[in-house]
Amino acid sequence: MADAMLEIRGLEIRYAGVPAVRGISFEVGRGEVVGLVGPNGAGKSSTLLAIMGMVEPHAGDVLVDGRSLVGSSTEEIVRGGVSLVPEGRRIFPELTVDENLRLGLQGRRSRDGAEEDVEQAAALFPVVREARDRPAGVLSGGQQQQLAIARSLVAQPSVLLLDEPSLGLAPKVVEDVFAALAEIRGRGVTILLVEQRAQFAVGFADRTHVLANGQLRLTLTPADAGDTDKMAAAYFGH
Amino acid sequence: MRRLGSASQLVAPVALLALVGLAGSFTSRSVQFQFRFALVMATIVIALYVFVRNSGVVSFGHVSFVAVGAFAAGLTTVPEALKLSLSPDLFPIIASAEVGNAMSLGLAAAVGGLFAFLVGVALMRLSGLAAGIATFAVLVITNNVLRNWEAIGPGARTLSLVPETTSFMQGTVGVIAVAILAFLYQRSRWGRVLRASSEDPYAAQGSGVNIYRQRLVAFTLSGALAGFAGGLFVHLLGSITTQQVYLDLAFLTLAMLVIGGVGSLWGAVVGALLVSGVNSLLLSAEDGIGLGFVDLDVPTGTRLVTLGAVMALIMLFRPTGITGGREIRLPGLR
Amino acid sequence: MDALQTIIDAIALGSVYALVAMGIGLVFGVMRLVNFAHGELITFGAYALVLTNHLPLVVGIVVCFATVIGLSLAMEVAYRPLRTSPPTTMLVTTFAVSFLLQAVALLAFGARGQNANVLEKLNTAVSIGDLRVRWVTLVSIAVGAVLLSGTALILRRTDIGLQMRAAAMDFRTAQLLGVRATTVIRFAFVLAGVLAACATVLLVVSRPLVTPGYGFQLVIPALVGVVVGGLDRLTSATLGGFAVGFAASVLGDVLPADGRVFLDTALFLLVIVVLLVRPGGLFTRSRAAWERV
Repeated sequence: MADAMLEIRGLEIRYAGVPAVRGISFEVGRGEVVGLVGPNGAGKSSTLLAIMGMVEPHAGDVLVDGRSLVGSSTEEIVRGGVSLVPEGRRIFPELTVDENLRLGLQGRRSRDGAEEDVEQAAALFPVVREARDRPAGVLSGGQQQQLAIARSLVAQPSVLLLDEPSLGLAPKVVEDVFAALAEIRGRGVTILLVEQRAQFAVGFADRTHVLANGQLRLTLTPADAGDTDKMAAAYFGH
Repeated sequence: MRRLGSASQLVAPVALLALVGLAGSFTSRSVQFQFRFALVMATIVIALYVFVRNSGVVSFGHVSFVAVGAFAAGLTTVPEALKLSLSPDLFPIIASAEVGNAMSLGLAAAVGGLFAFLVGVALMRLSGLAAGIATFAVLVITNNVLRNWEAIGPGARTLSLVPETTSFMQGTVGVIAVAILAFLYQRSRWGRVLRASSEDPYAAQGSGVNIYRQRLVAFTLSGALAGFAGGLFVHLLGSITTQQVYLDLAFLTLAMLVIGGVGSLWGAVVGALLVSGVNSLLLSAEDGIGLGFVDLDVPTGTRLVTLGAVMALIMLFRPTGITGGREIRLPGLR
Repeated sequence: MDALQTIIDAIALGSVYALVAMGIGLVFGVMRLVNFAHGELITFGAYALVLTNHLPLVVGIVVCFATVIGLSLAMEVAYRPLRTSPPTTMLVTTFAVSFLLQAVALLAFGARGQNANVLEKLNTAVSIGDLRVRWVTLVSIAVGAVLLSGTALILRRTDIGLQMRAAAMDFRTAQLLGVRATTVIRFAFVLAGVLAACATVLLVVSRPLVTPGYGFQLVIPALVGVVVGGLDRLTSATLGGFAVGFAASVLGDVLPADGRVFLDTALFLLVIVVLLVRPGGLFTRSRAAWERV
């Protein structure tokens, strides 16, 4: 598709010879939200890491806006407009909230507009301003998740990757997080969302792929969110 | 791992060592020393290999065991009068001890092994970076004590008049014996269990393996072999000082193991012999030699620079060593 | 008053060791690499001062700084293949580089010591009350304080400092955020070089005889301090370096001549004890490097 912002083609990932991702292909169109769900060990995180250049694919290609990312360094990929909110948030607990946010600015292509982007992130995620000088480690899980997303946002991404944003969070908190994601989507950011708790992704994304045992099995739409059989398939990867 | 147990693993190194021993005996007197030196170096390197390869832990301190072995063998084969003239405060038991050649070598091995056991009891819980630093500390401490405690040895003075009994026969038989022992250990159940544990500590502990104890066994054995090598060393040189069994030797033997390849006995032997050869060549070149068609005369100190450069380059670009296979590199994260 | 004299001297030596320890700690933080060859920065810096002996002092110091920082940057480049290596490979490699550089120094300058007569005036003493304190002692303390707090400021207040701290805490996540690994590592090496260069100048004033082993002899106790203090955190590493310098100076003054010879033994026994007793406490983060069985 000519309008694809993010394109995965025949991606194969192996760890010490053992295949984790066995040739998957999908696209995320400009401004779309695509979900990737499946059981543990299915290869979801590996896919994200491959996009970010942290893991070298055994075969296949990753393209953003038509440009291949494979072989580029993570630094270049981030500056090219791709940002990952990692699994488990991975904020720096000993740095202050503000310092954590400032780190995100390192991924920008240029400093221009940094202040405005920080303001916008603060508007979406008030914790960024409220707790700015406190060590990030004292924040709750939900607040840390907000900080992690804010941190990725200020890097000016055109593609935002999220690895299990609902991990360890209560349903109400997850709602807030997804509300913020909806706003981000509204700004035209392309989103790839990996989730183990499939219901969050399926209801939110334009479409959701089910990844099981390294392969894409199924594609769901928000309409399928109420279909228990299909949801079970999503969970157990049939 | 099965590779290390097959008999072919032993044949090549032993054959090479025997060849070197044999060929060396036909060279001129001055060169003969270099050959015997290479054989003794190989003994030390094999001792080091026994521990490093099987446990996956790098020890910077093995030369300590060479040192105590050398001094034990040296002190028990020189006349009492000489010992007392060097260190009047020497313990009487050391001063009066006088044994034959074979006994001195056995004693060297025993002292090396015992010392290694005691050190190992304390240190074998450590891995990786901590073990490297701790074993380096042992090296410094041993040197410091040997150099200053005059009740146990000649201190900073040279212990000379040690009988030079490390002939080609003794050197070759000695190193081959050590190689065989190294092989038997790595092929034994203990050796295999330790190697498996070093590759996957969690699985090993889950199967009830006591890694600490296995490491201690390897460390003690390797200490005994290093002590024995120390005995051969002192009987080769006819004298010994603490500086000869300290940082330079530690670096040299580690370099030999790394350059040859820490993964196999073959690597250890090749590294030792090759580096000894180049070392000797450059040593002569520093004095100026004619190699038939070319005259080689390099400034003093080139030898060390070359050795250091080669080791650094190997570590950076081919950590598995000259003989190295892809899987077996310098152990890590253990 | 003797005691006060001893303490002041000890603080001065401690400050110099702290500069060296901080340099080692900075590089370790961003690369998880203990640079055994850090001492050779000092050795070559000292030789630079020897060679520029006859030139104006400013020139000498500039050349010294240039040499040390240049060599540090060269090490950064040389160590690049090690970035993904296990800690023991790193240790052995830096050991090899240290040996190589010492051998080069031996080849270039010979084994006999050479004099770098730098700032000899600082060796004169000034009377403060009942004390006679050498100028170099006061300068060492002052320079040490300035540099240590300066470095701390850089780390806390600048962007590059923030990136360095983040890289030391969680290198992978820092990379994911776009922190430039090479820039951060290079900056650490430059900073370590600056600290080492300052330490060199201060050292050479009190110990003008430079030999190929000059820096190595110093870095071993400094390394002891870093390990004892706590490799994982910059403050504890620096404090450890200070403590070793302080202790070495005090013991040097206080011990009788025959007790002093076993100083190395005492120091290294301490290292072993610390490694055995508090691997979890002192080195909380890099559990992989400090695994016990």
